[in-house]
Amino acid sequence: MKAFFRILPFIRFVLFSGLILVSLGSVFGMCLVFYMADDLPKLPSPLSRIIETPQTQILASNGQLMISLGERESIPLDMVSQDFINAIIATEDHRFYEHRGINKLRTLKGLYITLTKTGKVQGASTITQQLAKNLFFSFEQTFTRKFKELLVALQIEASSTKQEILHAYINQIYFGAGAQGIEKAANVFFGKSSLDLTLSEAALLAGLPKSPANYNPYRHYDRALERRNIVLRRMVQVGFISDLQAQKARLEMPELHQKQSDSRTGNYFIDALISELIQRYGEDVVYHGGIKVFSTVDPRLQTYAQNALKNGLKTLDDLMGIKSDASERPQGALVSIEVGTGAVKALVGGRDYHQSEYNRAMKSRRQPGSGFKPFLYYTAFKNLEYHPATLMTDKPVVISVKGSPDWMPKNFNKIFEGDMILKKALIDSVNTVAAQLVEKTGPASVNQTARICGIKSPLADVYSVALGTSGVTPFEMASAYAVFATMGVRHEPFLFKRVEDAFGRVIFEHIIQEKRVLESGMVYQVVDMMKSVIDQGSGSSIRKMGFDRPAAGKTGTTDGYNDAWFTGFTPTLSTCVWTGFDKKTRLVDTNHAGITGGRSAAPIWADFMRNALKSDPERDFPIPDNIRFETVDVRTGCNLDLEEDNARGLTVALKSDQHLCEKEEE
Amino acid sequence: MIHLWHEPFDFSEWLKRTFSFLNIAVFIITALFIFSEFRFDWMERLLGTYLSSTNSARPETGAIWETGKQAFNAREYLDDIVSKKEDARANVHDASSFSFLSANLAPGEWVTLEKNQFKALYLSIEKSAAEKIMEPAQLVWLLKGSHLDRIFCEGVSDGIKIYFLDSDNRVIKQMEFKKEDILKIEAGEKPLPGKLDQMSGFSGRIYPAQNFFDALFKLPKDILPDLMDNPQSLLEQEGEIIRVGVWNEVKDGYIRLGFEFEKNDGFQVVFVKGREWAIWQLSLNLKGTGE
Repeated sequence: MKAFFRILPFIRFVLFSGLILVSLGSVFGMCLVFYMADDLPKLPSPLSRIIETPQTQILASNGQLMISLGERESIPLDMVSQDFINAIIATEDHRFYEHRGINKLRTLKGLYITLTKTGKVQGASTITQQLAKNLFFSFEQTFTRKFKELLVALQIEASSTKQEILHAYINQIYFGAGAQGIEKAANVFFGKSSLDLTLSEAALLAGLPKSPANYNPYRHYDRALERRNIVLRRMVQVGFISDLQAQKARLEMPELHQKQSDSRTGNYFIDALISELIQRYGEDVVYHGGIKVFSTVDPRLQTYAQNALKNGLKTLDDLMGIKSDASERPQGALVSIEVGTGAVKALVGGRDYHQSEYNRAMKSRRQPGSGFKPFLYYTAFKNLEYHPATLMTDKPVVISVKGSPDWMPKNFNKIFEGDMILKKALIDSVNTVAAQLVEKTGPASVNQTARICGIKSPLADVYSVALGTSGVTPFEMASAYAVFATMGVRHEPFLFKRVEDAFGRVIFEHIIQEKRVLESGMVYQVVDMMKSVIDQGSGSSIRKMGFDRPAAGKTGTTDGYNDAWFTGFTPTLSTCVWTGFDKKTRLVDTNHAGITGGRSAAPIWADFMRNALKSDPERDFPIPDNIRFETVDVRTGCNLDLEEDNARGLTVALKSDQHLCEKEEE
Repeated sequence: MIHLWHEPFDFSEWLKRTFSFLNIAVFIITALFIFSEFRFDWMERLLGTYLSSTNSARPETGAIWETGKQAFNAREYLDDIVSKKEDARANVHDASSFSFLSANLAPGEWVTLEKNQFKALYLSIEKSAAEKIMEPAQLVWLLKGSHLDRIFCEGVSDGIKIYFLDSDNRVIKQMEFKKEDILKIEAGEKPLPGKLDQMSGFSGRIYPAQNFFDALFKLPKDILPDLMDNPQSLLEQEGEIIRVGVWNEVKDGYIRLGFEFEKNDGFQVVFVKGREWAIWQLSLNLKGTGE
């Protein structure tokens, strides 16, 4: 007892000191409020007005809406499923209807934990505070920001009804996958209106705002379900639903809206288009300008492209013995361009947009390998006056390079076949012949040909560039090959043809301009050679897959089998397919044999082109007036004697002033 | 008066002091304060009401206002593009010449020309000059025989580009003119003050007017229209033709003729063009009649 009496003065001292401190704190707090009040953001009135921003629409070439950007679809509370409203209240702030902006007990608890447990920050935000944060503040975690957010929350509570607050909250909250606001989220994830959400769907959506990326059901369906179950448990605890209802809901597996499954922005094509729009007009116009963009993409072809790439890569997985859950799987890209205009009709930048948004079709510069040879052959025809029947020798080649070790290119099959005409050399993709050609033309002129065809990536002026050692993108390759398809006429590739403002006034129109960059006769000669690549050369898998239209193309495989390409075209469509790993990893089958472009990319190309062109009439490439055809002996370059072995005969396209049997001088 | 504080000596003193009026009052007030705050949230209401009263004077900052500003900026930017375009369109709507077009279209600005407007601009130029813009046959093909949908005119740094587009926006024909070239074409060949023998191109091919016309009328009648592409410019001149010179160069199948006029204020040479083959026929008749 005596001890108690002894400490009593101390207790009294503490109590009174505490009281004084609290009083002083209150005074300080009030001063702080007055000080900060001037700096607080102004609250709009009514609160829902802030949600209105015009949406930018991106349309496909057939007028179908592909995506709306910056869309804030505000709907009244009575048009939202009550289950969702209950779920979000139970999860985020079950005392929402009781407090005046802050939950004091939770705040004190949060403050205690934050102050006492190092490194732990306990959140205690009410729905009103979250609304204040989302509307006005950054996500930076500071006490000043928290205090300001708290003050704004108090003002929101003082100036708005609970219904108004809830209305603003559910219409601006971010759910991931590009969905802002409940109506958009219901539409994106389930393809329905928010009024029609089931309990299970509503609970799943209510769980997303905590971490839209982590719980994104398209990427992490299991995590999203676990989070949904937590929401359902909270709803039971708060008394919104019974145990039985929760159990029933837990058994449901909400079906995601597949049409939107490739959607953050939409897909790789839309990403590329938005990026170009931003470059031209800036982010404000693109996301807040309410513009209407008429893109070039054909949704039918885009679907075919996605499916062809998906199926082709699945086949490649099987070929390589890679399981679907492997951490590293080969990637791919496909770009298809209308040759007569330059309009990009389909573009896929990877096997799964949700796993990787990196657009390999436009950003990934990979070595094209032999896919670069058509530029070399055209250059040789132009600069050296060679033609498809010019005789060369497939032999070991050593090219001395100033300041570097000698360059000794090898053929893929490691065999030297002796004399052969150029057409045969391209069909069989003979590297030693290509090396001899580039030695004569010089790498700079080959690069020049590639440049005028539309290759914009940096190209090194080294001999090996003729064998495709400088990185290019699939987009560039599709565009550059389109020049061959048009017999030498270049069209700048484009992703959108018109942009209108919100009132339908035209802001931009793409004009399709033609520019002759290559001579048609020589181009036809190269095209004729590339046709044979498909008919009997390294791209013959295309014919085996049943694609029997007139087409020309070239495979490309890099030395270490890191990249496998096929780029080809018909008279209407130029398409490039690339396959390979993001990292430098070899494409090898289960027998450890390297996989070439003919095995991995060409089947994807054939699958896509067969579907893409099925409703188009069949057309062959136009033959220029100055072209004639001769059947020649591939070993001599001379006219084939009918009594000789027909297997040695090859039809070549010659210009009227070109003659046979002219062996290239050593 | 000084009260010295001392520790209570017994328990009753302790109780008395603990439950003193001051202590009880402080406790009750504090408890009431806390209880009422938890029960009625008056502090939140008070602060909220205060902040609402200062709302109108506060800045429009923060994410949502930024979005509003971005939307406003975007609208302004787009309106600017549209108004520039509409200004350009209004400017060239009543354009009476290609030079007016090129002068009023800044680089990057573009307008769509009506077919009839282009036709009117073309026809406003003297025939031989108009051919430098486009062959009449090609114009007929473009306006009447092709899939022409629109004519798109774009300002470039030193002139204009004109695109003839089909309904797919594909360029059927494209032309580019420098401002100075357009001016020259439209102006035609202006009369030059001076005499023919002061101009080196006519040296040795200058004929008295009488000799020239005598030689001219010796030619078959069907040749005469090809000798002067624009006799109008000669008829418009005051004074008399003294001498005629034949230029020593052929350009685009034409040869220039210089007509020397004597006027009150001196001499002036007016140029017209004639078809090469017609002038050649005329030259045969003129042989030996020169000065």
